[in-house]
Amino acid sequence: MLTYEPGDSVAHGLDPRGKLAVQFGLAITVFAYPTPAGFAVGGLVAVAALAAGRLSPVSVLRAYWVVFAFLAVGPILGGVALGDPWFRVGPALDSLRSVARVVPVVFVSAVYVRTTPVRETRAAIQRMVPGRVGRLFGVGVGLVFRFFPVVLGDLRAIRTAVRARGGERRPLRDRVRRILARGLQRSFLRADRLTLALRARCFAWNPTLPALRFRGRDYPVLALGLALACSPLFTLVPGRFIPVA
Amino acid sequence: MTEEYESVDLVADDTVRNLAAAAVLAALTAALAQLSIPIPSVGVPFSLQPFGSFFAGLLLGPVWGGFAMALYLVAGTAGAPVFANGAAGIGQFGGRTGGFLVGFLLGAVVTGAITHRQVAPRSLDDISVPVQLVGLFAGLAVVYAVGVPWMAEVLGISVRAAAAAMAPFFPPDVVKVFVTVGVVEGGHLAIRE
Repeated sequence: MLTYEPGDSVAHGLDPRGKLAVQFGLAITVFAYPTPAGFAVGGLVAVAALAAGRLSPVSVLRAYWVVFAFLAVGPILGGVALGDPWFRVGPALDSLRSVARVVPVVFVSAVYVRTTPVRETRAAIQRMVPGRVGRLFGVGVGLVFRFFPVVLGDLRAIRTAVRARGGERRPLRDRVRRILARGLQRSFLRADRLTLALRARCFAWNPTLPALRFRGRDYPVLALGLALACSPLFTLVPGRFIPVA
Repeated sequence: MTEEYESVDLVADDTVRNLAAAAVLAALTAALAQLSIPIPSVGVPFSLQPFGSFFAGLLLGPVWGGFAMALYLVAGTAGAPVFANGAAGIGQFGGRTGGFLVGFLLGAVVTGAITHRQVAPRSLDDISVPVQLVGLFAGLAVVYAVGVPWMAEVLGISVRAAAAAMAPFFPPDVVKVFVTVGVVEGGHLAIRE
């Protein structure tokens, strides 16, 4: 699985807010323009991101093969017909076009995941979403990162325990009910302990934030992100201001 | 060197409790998304992911349940491998099942709004089983109402074709609604009161 790894690549040195802007901007661009030009922009940004993060496309393919396999199903589903031609090329191509636009977004988000520590993402969320909601989101996301492996471990342990007691022979509903009931019980015990721990540590609305600072090289990245995010507006401009013969 | 002196603004006890519950429930949803039970006779795996959305709405109410699901989605966007099969990143929302992820959030809000009818979650003892069922089915309907057209748009196929592709997953999801009510009504959660 692809996770953060410390490094000294260009992408590692960038501010997380700029990188998030490029991700969101690219997602908007590729969905607004399912055209060759849109694919070219998406491909260029993806290749630049991979180079900036010094991440091999092969490792992305390996990490996200399930996603790519799901996407590949689309054109097949779109083309299959319950009638004489059995497989229609036109709808399959349409489907391939809409599937292809997701690919650069997956690559760019993989670079983000590889080059951005969770602490920075949390600080970025806390800075971008204003007020108390943003603070709760910042803390909450950090807690989800922390608790996910623990709760997953709980569930696996419960499943093993159910199996060890011959649970495989019980009806599905019964098995699921046991796993869920124990899982919820353990999770809420953890939530209660977490509540106590947060109160004991004077959990406050105004804690000390990790420092985030924009440097010179972050501005072009942010500009690219904003330009990509606003790209659906560009089509309106030439038609209105520059008469196209 | 500058130093700042300001008073500590403590978070209210209720908010701390709800935040902790929402974060742990988001983590539970993430963990459930990694587990599925194969059912050879039906052909589709029995995914446990929807239970996270159901429990969030039913146990935490519309606001905190929605917050729990939003935390789950933001954590996944930020790179935690919390989506099904250990996937992560914003690209997931552009994928085939992205609409269902957003649907889980809206579904939890709808379930919470119908069952609790107020911001702060009520005790489930005060909510009758039929109301819980109505809330959960409305939430499930929202999940499909967002997920199926989204899938059709992403794959470039008609809504009808997408609905046909998702049809095998619907009956197990109905079973999940009843299992959810069975779990919360079974007295297993008394510890929370």
